[in-house]
Amino acid sequence: MVDKIIIDGMSFALPLFVMAIGGIYSERSGITNLALEGLQGAGAFVGALVAFFMMRSLGADSQLPYYAAMLFSMIGGMCYAMLHALLCIKFKADQVISGVVINILAMALTEFLTKVVNRVVIGKPSNKFDLGVSQRWTVPGISEIPVIGAFFKNVYPFELIIAVVALIAWYVLYRTKFGLHLRACGDNPHAVDAAGIDVAKIRFIAVMVSGALSGLAGMCFAYSISANYSSGIYLGYGYLSIAALIFGNWKIIPTLAACLLFGFANSGGHQLVLAAGLPSSYSDLIMILPYVLTLLLLVFFSKHNDAPRALGEIYDKGKR
Amino acid sequence: MKKRKVNPVTKLFVKLLGNEKYQAITIPVFAILISLIVGAAVIAALGKDPVSAYTNLLQGCGLWPKPKYAGGKSMATDFFSFLNYWTPMIFASLAVAVALKAGLFNIGVSGQMLAAGFVSTVLIGYSSLAAPIAKPLVVIIAALVGGLVGAFMGWLKYKFNINEVVSSIMLNYIVQYVVAFFINTKFVDPVSRQSKNVSDAARLTLMGTEIGGFKYDIPLGIVLAIVVALVIKFVLDKTTFGYEIATVGLNRKAAQYAGINVGRKMILYMLISGGLAGLAGATYYLGYFSSIQPKVLSATGFDAIAVSLLGNSHPLGILLSSFLISIMGKGKTYMSSSAGLDAEIASVITGLILLFSACGAFIRYKVKRAKDNMAEIEKANKAEVNE
Repeated sequence: MVDKIIIDGMSFALPLFVMAIGGIYSERSGITNLALEGLQGAGAFVGALVAFFMMRSLGADSQLPYYAAMLFSMIGGMCYAMLHALLCIKFKADQVISGVVINILAMALTEFLTKVVNRVVIGKPSNKFDLGVSQRWTVPGISEIPVIGAFFKNVYPFELIIAVVALIAWYVLYRTKFGLHLRACGDNPHAVDAAGIDVAKIRFIAVMVSGALSGLAGMCFAYSISANYSSGIYLGYGYLSIAALIFGNWKIIPTLAACLLFGFANSGGHQLVLAAGLPSSYSDLIMILPYVLTLLLLVFFSKHNDAPRALGEIYDKGKR
Repeated sequence: MKKRKVNPVTKLFVKLLGNEKYQAITIPVFAILISLIVGAAVIAALGKDPVSAYTNLLQGCGLWPKPKYAGGKSMATDFFSFLNYWTPMIFASLAVAVALKAGLFNIGVSGQMLAAGFVSTVLIGYSSLAAPIAKPLVVIIAALVGGLVGAFMGWLKYKFNINEVVSSIMLNYIVQYVVAFFINTKFVDPVSRQSKNVSDAARLTLMGTEIGGFKYDIPLGIVLAIVVALVIKFVLDKTTFGYEIATVGLNRKAAQYAGINVGRKMILYMLISGGLAGLAGATYYLGYFSSIQPKVLSATGFDAIAVSLLGNSHPLGILLSSFLISIMGKGKTYMSSSAGLDAEIASVITGLILLFSACGAFIRYKVKRAKDNMAEIEKANKAEVNE
């Protein structure tokens, strides 16, 4: 049972985490990003589309479409995020509006395009792409260790990808000059500008990173939750990851803790219902566990919750 | 020196959009027109006739006569149904707007709607109270429940500094699952897998009312919605209370210095915002619909954020913007059945309208630049003539 909690918890927490990292990039650069929900859906749509076509030509056994989907979901998310970046940076739109609009548009567009592609390619009305079941890895030896071994059992390949991406993202944000500039853009863009660095460019890149990471997360959800892509991808996990990153005080490591909390509370709840032999409707009640827990924890940890100082402000050079 | 000329197209735009006094109206209208044109291009690219598709949207809402009607139905039937659909959107957008005015971001409207709708469904919808008592009680209880959920978020912010975005996302999930649990264990309709229908006495729509041989579903909430919108406009524009909201929203510190108890006021503002969301819930779950689908949050609460901003967070603006967006939402079913277009195309156009409207500040900026530029050229030309 503990094994199952860890296995399911990790496969839920990690995509959430990678999406939250994207959010952190965007928000630490000063761009409020409520668009994560839409970005993950749009990114996953592109990834699923590529996988869909590759599976038609390569057959269902090939693992290539899986990795291609991961890659293209990042590219797709990145391209779609440019819309948010354009609106917020070039067109000086209100960042909250832009985020919400991006979500609405993403849902409408992906649903519409999924239908159209299905009709044109297969000739059947369908509103989803079948993706096939993901491979799962078990590391021999280590996975036999009690409790800790579960972290190496039945692992989705995407979990490894996320771990690598997260490490790189952490390194870039906290240990490179670019990361320093990015964080400065969110706190004092005028100082960054005075130092001769292009604020708009850094923010643009940050939003694109958030798009790429959200797209990846969306693709992972599509593979781990439903084995297909449909409008059911919009489950509100984008908003959940925003909550995680605010909970984590806009820092990567505490955000990981928040995501793990969501993940384990979620899978733990499910196992609890199973173990207690309750009817499945009780799982609904248990499902509130992560959210109640978060609210309770926030009561104790919110005193020093500081958003980046210039978050959500449209950068206007003239104001300096 | 060569005489510089102003591009006539620029001149036209400046003439149409340049007057700052009317920009609050002209620029959104301009944005909407552009998005309708883009939408038309998309429809044309799909090989359909955009004009008839747009007419279908209006026909589906009873704003344009259909070629023929089924027995007992008329254009007014569609129009009443449209009004019923429009009502929750007005309340939800007002809820977002009031919070925004106070500098608070209520992303939990959907959750508040659901909580309010569920409690009034259970308490009144399943009771045997007579209509004259049941209907007002539904409204009061829904406003109260929504208000309490909103106030709870405000209290968490005031007392523990919990960001209202996080607490409302958490509450959205909590409400959604708790309601699903109770519906599935106690109130489920085994056929529809939704909650059992509420009684006609409690429902805020007079179903199947016969007038002159036609049957109408007459929505009652719409009257309340318009009255509430006007009251909010009056309160925001003309009273001390409204002035305080704006002060807190614009600068919390300045408001504190001015002697406003910001913390407590924020709870009050969230109470009002939540109350409005509660009314949206009542008119949604006990008005347009009569049951609740478990584990689904309505999209209305999220769309309302964009609708409210499209309406400049102003009650009258919201009436207009929610009207427009509701046409898209309500008319799309008829459009897809009669024009053979996917209903989703209407959602795409909605998205485009919101997208272009979000660029309002940019359009304003461009127009101002062009205007200044024009004035400069004219001045230069005049100076030349004088020489």
